Amino acid sequence: MLEQLEKLPKLPSLSLLRQMAPLSRREMRNGLLFLSPWLFGFLAFTLLPMIATLIFSFLNLRITDGIFSAPKFVGFENYGQLFKDPQAGINPTTWFSSKTPSSLLITVKFALFALPIGIFAPLGLALLMNNKYLKGQFVFRSLFYMPFIVPFVASVFLWGGMLNTETGWINRLLLFLGVAKDTLPQWANDVNWVYPTYVIMGIWGIGNAMLIMLAGLQGVPTELYDAARVDGANSWATFWNITFPMISPVIFYNLVLNIVGLFQYFLVPLVVNNGTGRPGGATMFYNLYLYKTFFTFQNMSYGSTLAWFLFLVILLITLLLFATAKYWVYYAGETRS
Amino acid sequence: MKKLLYVLSLLVIASMVLTACGGGAATEAPAATEAPAATEAPATEAPAATEAPSGEKVQIRWFVGLGTGTNPEQVAVQEEVVSDFNASQDKIELVLEIVPFDSARDTLSTQIASGAGPDIVGPVGWGGSNDFYGQWLDITPYIESSGFDLSVFDPALVKFYQTEEGQVGLPFAVFPGAMYFIPAMFDEAGLNYPPQVYGEKYVMPDGTEADWNWDTITQVAKLLTVDKNGKNSTEEGFDRTSILQVGYTPQWQSVLSVGTFYGGAAKIYSGDAKGSYESTIPDSWKEGWKWYYDGMYGEQPYIATGPLAGAPEFGNGNLFNAGKSAMGLTQTWYTCCLGDFKTAGLEFQLGIQPIGANGEVAGRVDADTFRILKGSKHPAEAFDVLAYLITTGGDKLLPQYGAMPAIASKTDAFFEQKSADYPFVTDESWNVFIQGLAYPDAPSSEQYQPNSIKANARFATFFDLMNNTEGLDFDAEYQKLVDDLNAIYNE
Repeated sequence: MLEQLEKLPKLPSLSLLRQMAPLSRREMRNGLLFLSPWLFGFLAFTLLPMIATLIFSFLNLRITDGIFSAPKFVGFENYGQLFKDPQAGINPTTWFSSKTPSSLLITVKFALFALPIGIFAPLGLALLMNNKYLKGQFVFRSLFYMPFIVPFVASVFLWGGMLNTETGWINRLLLFLGVAKDTLPQWANDVNWVYPTYVIMGIWGIGNAMLIMLAGLQGVPTELYDAARVDGANSWATFWNITFPMISPVIFYNLVLNIVGLFQYFLVPLVVNNGTGRPGGATMFYNLYLYKTFFTFQNMSYGSTLAWFLFLVILLITLLLFATAKYWVYYAGETRS
Repeated sequence: MKKLLYVLSLLVIASMVLTACGGGAATEAPAATEAPAATEAPATEAPAATEAPSGEKVQIRWFVGLGTGTNPEQVAVQEEVVSDFNASQDKIELVLEIVPFDSARDTLSTQIASGAGPDIVGPVGWGGSNDFYGQWLDITPYIESSGFDLSVFDPALVKFYQTEEGQVGLPFAVFPGAMYFIPAMFDEAGLNYPPQVYGEKYVMPDGTEADWNWDTITQVAKLLTVDKNGKNSTEEGFDRTSILQVGYTPQWQSVLSVGTFYGGAAKIYSGDAKGSYESTIPDSWKEGWKWYYDGMYGEQPYIATGPLAGAPEFGNGNLFNAGKSAMGLTQTWYTCCLGDFKTAGLEFQLGIQPIGANGEVAGRVDADTFRILKGSKHPAEAFDVLAYLITTGGDKLLPQYGAMPAIASKTDAFFEQKSADYPFVTDESWNVFIQGLAYPDAPSSEQYQPNSIKANARFATFFDLMNNTEGLDFDAEYQKLVDDLNAIYNE
């Protein structure tokens, strides 16, 4: 560890600063000045809240309670409560003994459903966009990217209107096509349809991920494809042996972001289902529960505990992903031991 | 370099997770928080006014922000009232403190906790007051010692402010309920209008008379619920997938208000300490909720389901304003929000609130007033100010707050303004509001509950579920609600 630290570039000491040429000193000062908004922002809005929530998680702080009587140190009481809380549902024994669906389990279930789509749909689109036979690539690229620039909440409201079970044009169309009223999808109001509904809304905004994938695809050296063609490789072999390894860092990046995003899934159930967990508690995602505990119920301490647990879960999964990366993510120019 | 990237990635992820909710916009209105139970019994004698050092005025701080009163125009009028008051006498100096609504609750909590609370708070409704349950002063001794004349109010309204904490306020701005209705829709259906005097009966199409109760409203509402083919919901072939208008909506009412309107006002929990609290929702409320659910999803619907009510064609929940509901039960404050209605060339009138399950009129009155905090160092002087704000000051304040005066002799000006806004509304209709003052819900449907934020959120979830779920196992969900409330109350 120490050796690694020694290898890191050293910050100039004061004496070194004095020895620096005036121009270098000025450049350094300007550099720090330009960085300072970010540094202050990071300190004020990220690092300090992180430290604060860690402290909160060991107190019994509620906004009003805490004001009428000062918060007390409660040790690991909140973490104990977390373990017993069936709504948070981190303890598998509560999954079966409680009528309340586990928020963690709901989140994982949805992630398992949405993650493959969140990775492969933009990849598929990017492959199509990158196809040399596609005419008007620029137009399609713009069209697919456009929904991403619509504010997310606005697009969720739009989808809410389109999928309205009574007046939405999708159900109207299905009725027109002869689908019986009783068999019409109830979309966000049906336990069986609510996750597909959310995924459909999510697909609407994959333009950004598609663009990143496309950039990755366009960065693959063409001579590799030429060599493969000379060797007689078919499309699949070319994709699997050249394209995929070459864009694997981009896929990895999207995978990590998707997993973090899915564990933070929050806005859609809050807007579409009013954050109530309807139908049948199926939309009380972990982060929504965290939000309600922290902000609506104003139980800052328990909310912080939920946040830190979420952080640890995501950290663990991310570390696992990073650990697997050496087996499937290829960095050009990297030397492997 | 790669390791550094790993570390940076982890840091970014950490910051994303731990600040995930920071930018989320809260969609729910701030609800009441749990508050300590009411403490000491009220004093029976008014304490003497605290002496200020000779030559100095006693400073009384007036905190505005928990309800209306923070708009610039309102602030200007409030400042004027403060100037008027300060010019009127030489013992008290009234100081105005305006705090934005979003931060008012936290600011007041902090001030109280630090022993620097204001003396007077308001205007504030029941919801905002419940956030500080146990903190309000029983003003009975000061009413008696000052000889304040309570006869200017309807006695029912004075009683409205008697809680377990004592007499915590005096009537100031009131918002009685009424059944708003669209005469053109009644005419089209060949129906008589709802009665406009309490005690009058409704004349059914066949000429028979019936009490204006929920059975009658159900029958009328069904006839007023029309599909695209012009059929009402009682007719063969009525198409519930293409409803053009519904017969009834509880406009902007909570599930607790729906229960109150149907079953009458009731305290919905019992017990006096953690461990002993229990949900005591009356059976009549449960019956009312079932009636409401059947109105949406029953054989012959007459209330818009959640998805229908939430559709833009139906005004995104504001059904009456969108001209999509023939009747809407709500309060005086709804007259604020009928702009689209007027623009569309529609007209409304007002009918009486219905008779509830117990055979009596089950009305509702929303109300804002001023309250004195228990921690006030100058309660007698604070009461003097409160009395001024409610009476003399109210003349300037009420029009700015858009509220109906609780003092009956002052209502003319309010209705003159309303008549100018809605010239088609008859005097008989406006009179329904005045009559409605005699039917407040005591305890209010916004009453205090232990752990009230969570309890209210649980009620909202139940309402949302009812509104949006076809084929709901109502009894099972109701039982779940009660079980959850029992747990929440005792958390």
